[in-house]
Amino acid sequence: MKILESQNALLSNYEVYQHIIDQRKRHKTQNRRVPSNAHLVMTEVVTYLSEKPSPLEKQEESQSYSPTAIPRLLEKLREANLSGELTKGELLSILNLRPSSSALLSTAIEDMEDRFSEEEQNKMVDMVAEVLGRADTDEGAEGAEGDEMDADAVPSVENGY
Amino acid sequence: MFILTKIADLVQIAPDDFRKQSHIAIEDNINAKYANKVVQKIGLCICLWDILWTSEGLIGQGDGLVNVNVEFRMVVFRPFKGEAIVARIADQSPEGINLATDFFDDIFIPWTELPEGSEFEPSENLWVWKEEDQVMYFDNNEMVRFKVLSEEWHDQAPSKPVEVVDATEEQPVPTNAKPPYKITGSMSGPGLGCCLWWE
Repeated sequence: MKILESQNALLSNYEVYQHIIDQRKRHKTQNRRVPSNAHLVMTEVVTYLSEKPSPLEKQEESQSYSPTAIPRLLEKLREANLSGELTKGELLSILNLRPSSSALLSTAIEDMEDRFSEEEQNKMVDMVAEVLGRADTDEGAEGAEGDEMDADAVPSVENGY
Repeated sequence: MFILTKIADLVQIAPDDFRKQSHIAIEDNINAKYANKVVQKIGLCICLWDILWTSEGLIGQGDGLVNVNVEFRMVVFRPFKGEAIVARIADQSPEGINLATDFFDDIFIPWTELPEGSEFEPSENLWVWKEEDQVMYFDNNEMVRFKVLSEEWHDQAPSKPVEVVDATEEQPVPTNAKPPYKITGSMSGPGLGCCLWWE
């Protein structure tokens, strides 16, 4: 066994969650049995990712995360012309945690107080809520298309506004 | 929290798996070998992400196993330094708090990394945060947010066979006391600690 690249890419929780869910669906249709250790760890990961306070808790219904959500969030952050740059790790943390307040945002961003003004912090929190939805008062949940949602579908949050 | 690692390995497909399509047989084989296992300095392997390249299957001498060289990417759990993660409180002791996620058990927060003013309550075996007349408990099974400070790797050597002693004596089973992958974290900082406090 040879490790070719110990870190080829970073994955957000949403991507891992989606990957495992898709695999499960495929296995079901093919009637496949997975080895027990793989099944165990995959079930545990999905359980962990769907538990409160993970933002993916209501992913099945509200679909607040989608393949287009990530580039849209990046777009918005770029447009906002923030005074500092966000590193990859910080972006990933924001995606995974979906901070709903500036205190939570500070867990994702290092030295937030020094790099961003309070106004910018609030702006970032709003952008996150806009693109990725909010926790319980999910306007997203109501606006969510009850039927299939394809990757380019309009995000549910906008319908709620 | 998760990364992709590119690995090259030899996969041996047993004859009773020939009924499966090759990519399925290879995937099952890789998942069986790596899932839920810690690879030193890499992390906890979760599952296969995709197969990048496979060689032709060659059958060796003497057995019917098909040997395939495979290059693939694996989903690995390895949080980076400074990442904020959510976990559940599993256990508490005067040294600190042990956290666990559903799939990973060995996260430790030493008492020095708890918010200022935290004390251990020996009567209830709980840590308590006292701040400005507010008493906040670190309850077991609560979800908390913590920041990753460092990680430790302990390569597990195979343990010696236990010598057979009298059947009457209780022989303690030699367990590997050190987990192969241990994460140390901190909960002192804005936004960290019990998730309920910051809602």
